[in-house]
Amino acid sequence: MADEQKPGGSEAPSPPAGEGAKPPAKPAADAAKPPPPKPAAPPKPPATMAATPWDSALARSVKERFGDGILATSTYLGQDFVVTKPDSAMPVLEYLKLDADFDYLVDITAVDWPKRAERFDLVYIVYSFPHNQRVRIKVQIADGFEPRTATGVHLTANWLEREVFDMFGIRFAGHPDLRRILMPEDWQGYPLRKDYGILQQDVRWVQENLGIESGQ
Amino acid sequence: MIGLLKKIFLVDLFQGLFVTFRNQNPKYIYTEQYPAERPKVAERYRGAPRLNNNPENGETLCISCNLCALACPENLIVVTSERNEQTKRKDLTDFTYDLSRCMFCGLCEDACPVDALELTQDFELASYTRDGMIWDRQMLEEGPKPTQYKC
Amino acid sequence: MPDTFLDSTELILNMGPQHPSTHGVLRVILKLDGEKILGTDCVIGYLHRGVEKIAENRTYTQFNPYVDRMDYVAAVSNGLGYCLAVEKLLNVQAPPRAQVVRVILTELNRIASHLLWLGTHALDIGAITPVFYCFREREEALKIFEQYCGARLTTHAFRIGGLQYETYEGFERDVKEFCEMFPPKVDEYEELLTNNRIWAGRLKGVGILNGDDCKEYGVTGPVLRAAGVKWDLRKAQPYSGYEQYDFEIPTRENGDTYDRYIVRMQEMRQSVRIMEQAVEGIPAGPIMGKVGKVIKPPVGEAYVSIEAPKGELGYYVVSDGSTQPYRVRVRPPSYINLQALDKMVRGALIADVVAVIGTLDIVLGEVDR
Repeated sequence: MADEQKPGGSEAPSPPAGEGAKPPAKPAADAAKPPPPKPAAPPKPPATMAATPWDSALARSVKERFGDGILATSTYLGQDFVVTKPDSAMPVLEYLKLDADFDYLVDITAVDWPKRAERFDLVYIVYSFPHNQRVRIKVQIADGFEPRTATGVHLTANWLEREVFDMFGIRFAGHPDLRRILMPEDWQGYPLRKDYGILQQDVRWVQENLGIESGQ
Repeated sequence: MIGLLKKIFLVDLFQGLFVTFRNQNPKYIYTEQYPAERPKVAERYRGAPRLNNNPENGETLCISCNLCALACPENLIVVTSERNEQTKRKDLTDFTYDLSRCMFCGLCEDACPVDALELTQDFELASYTRDGMIWDRQMLEEGPKPTQYKC
Repeated sequence: MPDTFLDSTELILNMGPQHPSTHGVLRVILKLDGEKILGTDCVIGYLHRGVEKIAENRTYTQFNPYVDRMDYVAAVSNGLGYCLAVEKLLNVQAPPRAQVVRVILTELNRIASHLLWLGTHALDIGAITPVFYCFREREEALKIFEQYCGARLTTHAFRIGGLQYETYEGFERDVKEFCEMFPPKVDEYEELLTNNRIWAGRLKGVGILNGDDCKEYGVTGPVLRAAGVKWDLRKAQPYSGYEQYDFEIPTRENGDTYDRYIVRMQEMRQSVRIMEQAVEGIPAGPIMGKVGKVIKPPVGEAYVSIEAPKGELGYYVVSDGSTQPYRVRVRPPSYINLQALDKMVRGALIADVVAVIGTLDIVLGEVDR
């Protein structure tokens, strides 16, 4: 995207004088944009997601089996999810796969809540072919915490965890091949963290590898 | 024996050629002689933006409400206006549209409450310079003028 | 040095990123012993544009055109998935008329996507003719898109809550004509390929992935169905009114490249069936549901997935109650299917890699996002 952000950028030609109003106007608009979600968002969300408790045979059996490891079983918009303690996520995933037929790991992703003590929500989505049912497992983890890898349970977790590591900097303990996958390997910073601006880049990397002043 | 005759008289070859010649019918030809013959694009085609004028008095239809600029995902529209003290309304002074970053999604067109901004059927938008892709009000009202070749 | 001369040594071969059969900028590092593949490593990310980051800096409406640019040969499906996810968060449903039109366009897009796959896959294998035929028919589908929404590839056809554009005059006629014209063309492709000895020889028994492996690797779509798992989200968890239509899920048993080809060919026929049923009864009524001008879902999260031409395409959207999504996660089918490449080609020959990449039907725009 944006070609225009750096007034001093070598690439973007400055528009004709008659349109002088334009370049300053846009960076301002763009710069004003990223902040709103940050201050507005973090205080409320955990409190106000109108999730209702999820009660079913599966929820009860998970609760019974893991006891304190399960913080909540809820449902929102008809979608069920289990909130677990960081250490219980992997046993729950394993239990769901082996004993409850949740044999397909759909996705692993994370959500960054920088204002919270446990900064990341790690989300596992599993699906059961026999029961045609989808469940999410949510874990709240602090920055620097290394959750156990799911590659031992589902092979597909390999690339999914690599992507989470690439984008959020969450390291998975025991992952066989934890490298960046989408970004260049020696890139600094984790792009999907909320404190990583949309125009931010690893200037050193860009200059060294692309031979240009700036990628914008 | 028949097989040998077929081989001698190249029956396979003629069968194949028959298919080729059958497809020589001019109504199966898809090639467009482009610069001479311009393709006709769909009526709803989302191409070059145009700022419409009122056909009766030639005044711009734009009311400088800035909704297109707000709707644009790429923030490439800048509308400048000044307040007219007599009519108590905003008069459009300039309108810039950075075509080099436009992805022709049509959201600006949808947002426009008076049908002033419109994506038209013009699709020849190349320019020799990057500056040439930043269209001002005059350019938007006149539309692009691609070179017409006569063959 | 006669000893070492005859010793077979491992060779590292770089395939791509600029390789015609990798369908984009995919780089595969192959570890070879002669022609045999000992292992692969995919290097991806050349087309990474940070779509998920862009989403966090746009409003819900503004992000809609960007999703078209992930799987750019099936832009309509991408748009449908995103719109459904946000509609789920808003807890609204598109009106019936919009749903039917959505189904028609999505199925048309599935055909267009499969046609592009068939043409390029055949080209990779060495059959040059089908690509021209496929593009000829794909053109007809794209013409309908252009007539309907003004763009051929990055359609931006749907909006959150319904549709922006009313169907154009003659839309039903065009779709019906397409449905009539298309099945004989599929016969034509099948005539060229299905019983072709070279085609079968190159594809049969290549890149086998059985049903259990598919589940283990999270592989979905035609690849999963070719391995004998009768699973299609349109049937399993119907969305956008798919439960009204009568169609079958084509499956095959072997899970090799040839079966995946057969499954996709049959899927195109089923898509025509769905379209024929849908176009018969497009209900009258509004095309836009009850959503405000400014889309502001309540705090919450939702995961919605659809059956895209390549597999399960999911959107996990987290809302913080503002006009911008807090997080949009795309579950891209191509990305996850590509991961199984290593499993599929290990022990095979180099030439099979081309066939397997082709049959996975990856789009790098979606792999890298």
